[in-house]
Amino acid sequence: MNKNLSRLITLVAAILAIFLPSFVGAYPLQVARNVMLYMALAVTWDMLLRSGQISFGIAGLFGLGAYASVLGVLRAGMPAWVSIPFAAIFCGLAALGIGFLILRLRSTYFSIVTLALAEIFRIIIHNLHDFTGGPEGVVLKDVIFGGAADKLYWLTLGGLAVSLGASYWFEKSRIHFALTAIRNNETSAKSSGVNIFSWLLVAFVVTSAIQGLLGGIFVQSYGFATPESVFDANFTLLPLAIALLGGIHSTVGPVLGALLLGLAAEWLKLQLPYGHLVVYGIIIIVVILFMPQGLLGIARKTFRAADRRKA
Amino acid sequence: MTLKSRTAIILSLAAAVLIILWKPTVLIYGVQQAGLYAAIAIPMGLVLGIVHIVNLAHGEFMMVAAYATYFACKATGMDPLVALIPSAAVTAVLGWIVYRLTIRRALKAPELNQLILTFGLGIALSQGINILFTSQTRKISLDYVSASLDIGDLTFGVWSFIFVVFAAMYAYGLKFFLTRTTAGKAALAVGQNPKGAAIVGIDVDRTYGIVFAIAMALVGAMGALFLTRSAIFPMVGAPFTMKSFCLVAMAGIGNIPGILAASLLLGVSESILRAFRETRGWADIVFFVLIIAVILGRSIKRRKS
Repeated sequence: MNKNLSRLITLVAAILAIFLPSFVGAYPLQVARNVMLYMALAVTWDMLLRSGQISFGIAGLFGLGAYASVLGVLRAGMPAWVSIPFAAIFCGLAALGIGFLILRLRSTYFSIVTLALAEIFRIIIHNLHDFTGGPEGVVLKDVIFGGAADKLYWLTLGGLAVSLGASYWFEKSRIHFALTAIRNNETSAKSSGVNIFSWLLVAFVVTSAIQGLLGGIFVQSYGFATPESVFDANFTLLPLAIALLGGIHSTVGPVLGALLLGLAAEWLKLQLPYGHLVVYGIIIIVVILFMPQGLLGIARKTFRAADRRKA
Repeated sequence: MTLKSRTAIILSLAAAVLIILWKPTVLIYGVQQAGLYAAIAIPMGLVLGIVHIVNLAHGEFMMVAAYATYFACKATGMDPLVALIPSAAVTAVLGWIVYRLTIRRALKAPELNQLILTFGLGIALSQGINILFTSQTRKISLDYVSASLDIGDLTFGVWSFIFVVFAAMYAYGLKFFLTRTTAGKAALAVGQNPKGAAIVGIDVDRTYGIVFAIAMALVGAMGALFLTRSAIFPMVGAPFTMKSFCLVAMAGIGNIPGILAASLLLGVSESILRAFRETRGWADIVFFVLIIAVILGRSIKRRKS
C-alpha cells in the first residue's frame, strides 16, 4: 500500500510540476526554477555521499559546466541546446581526469581537493583571458528560447528530471549495493569483490556530469557568465544544507529539504542581501550535531514509534 | 632513507643557489611567504595530530583574529603588534567555546561528519563577519611595514621576515611544549592513544579543548600579523585553510620540520611564478598541483606496501 501511495504522490507532483506554468505568473516560475536547480544539485551531492565521499566541489563543476556551455556557443558556434549536453560531457570528462588522480586516496583528501576545485577553475578562467573573457566574464547574444518564462521553467524541470532519474537509478540498480557497501566498510566491500575505485569513479563522473548539465542550463537561461556569478559559494552551500536538512542517503530527503530551504532561501535573499549564507552554515552545524539523519530521519522515527504503539 | 633525504637536501640547496644567482628577490620573498604559510599550517598540524580533526574553519579563525585586531587598533589606536596578544586571546576563547559546543560532540562521529561540521563552522564565521562588517576590504597602514634593505643594487622589504621569525618560534615552541612540559607530554600521549591516556589518568576531553584553544591562539596571532601587511575581508582566510592542509598532508602528521620544508617549497614556487608577468596569475594554483602530487605519491606508496 505504501509503495502505491508514494507512486501516486510522485505522479501527482510530476503532473503539477509540468503544468505549473499555466497557473502562475513569471515571478513564481522564477522562484520555482531556483528551487528546482538547488534541488537537483542537492540530489547529485547526495548521490556521491551514498558512497561515503563528501564533495565540496559542486560550485566548481557547476561553474565549469556553465563556462563549457557559454564558450561552446561563443567559440565553437554550437546551438544553445547542443551546448547544454556538451557541458555535461565536458564536466564528466573533467571529473574522470580528476577522479582518476584523486579517488585512490579517498575521504578527507578527496573532500579537500573538491573544496579547492571552484577556486582552481576560477583561477584558470581568470588566466585564460583571451579564450574565456577573464574576470569580466562573457555575454551571450541571446538567452535560450528568447527568454520565454515557461520554456525556461521546463528546461530547468528537465535538468531536475535527469538528476532525479539518475538518483532513482542509483537507488535501484547494482550501484546502490556497491556504494552502500563502500560507505559501510571498504575492507569488507573489497573482500566481497567490489571494485571500489571504479564504482567511486562512476559515481563521481555521473554526478559531476549532471552538475555540469545544470550549470549549462543555468547559464543559458541567464545569458551571461562571470567567474563570480557561476562559481558562487551558494551553489555548494545551499545544496549541502538542503540535503542535510532533508535527510541524506535518499532521493526524498533532498527533495523535501529543497522545498523547505529553497523557498526560505528566496525570502532570505530579500531580507539579508549580504551574508544570508550564515543561515545555511548554522543549519549545517545544527543538523550534523543534533539530527544527522535530517528531517526524514525524524519523520521515520516518529512513524516507527506510532506503528509500535498501534501494534 | 638517509641517502634519500641527503639527496633531497642537496638538490634543494642546488635549486636555492641557482635561484639566488638568477633572481635573489624571488628567493627572499618566497622565504617570507613560506614563513607565513608555515606559521599558519603548524597549528593545523597540531590539531590534526592531537585532536585528530581536520579543521576546515582554520583560516576563518585567522580572519576573525585579524578583524579583532583591526577594530582594537581603530578603537584604541594601539599597534597591531600589541593588539596581537588580545586577538590571540579572543580566538583562543572562541576556539574553546567552539570546541565545547560543537567539535566535542562530533569526536566520535564519522570523519565525514566532522568535515561537514567544520565546513559549516567556517561558513558561519566568515558569513557572520560579512553580516557584521560587510565585505568591504580593510587595511591598516603602518610605516614600519615598508622598511627595506639595500645590499649592493638589491632592494627588498624586510618586514615580512617577521613571518619567518614566528614560524621558527612556533616550531621550536611547540617542540618544547610537547616534549618538555607536563601538559604538552599529556597532549602528546592523548594524540598517540586517547584510551591509553585516559587509563593513566589524563583528562582527554580537557586536553583536546586546551590543544584546540592553543592552536587557535597561534592562528589568531598570525591573523594580527597578517593584518600588518595585507588587506582583510571576510573570505580572506579560506585559501589558507586549503594551503595549510596541503602542507600538513605533504609533511605527514606530527612532522613539524616537514611542514617547514613543504612551506619553503610552496612559498618559493609561488614566488618564482609571481616573478613573471605571464605566469603571475597561476601562482595560486601551485598548492593544488602539490596536493595532487602528494595524493599520487601516497597511493603509489600504499600499493607497494
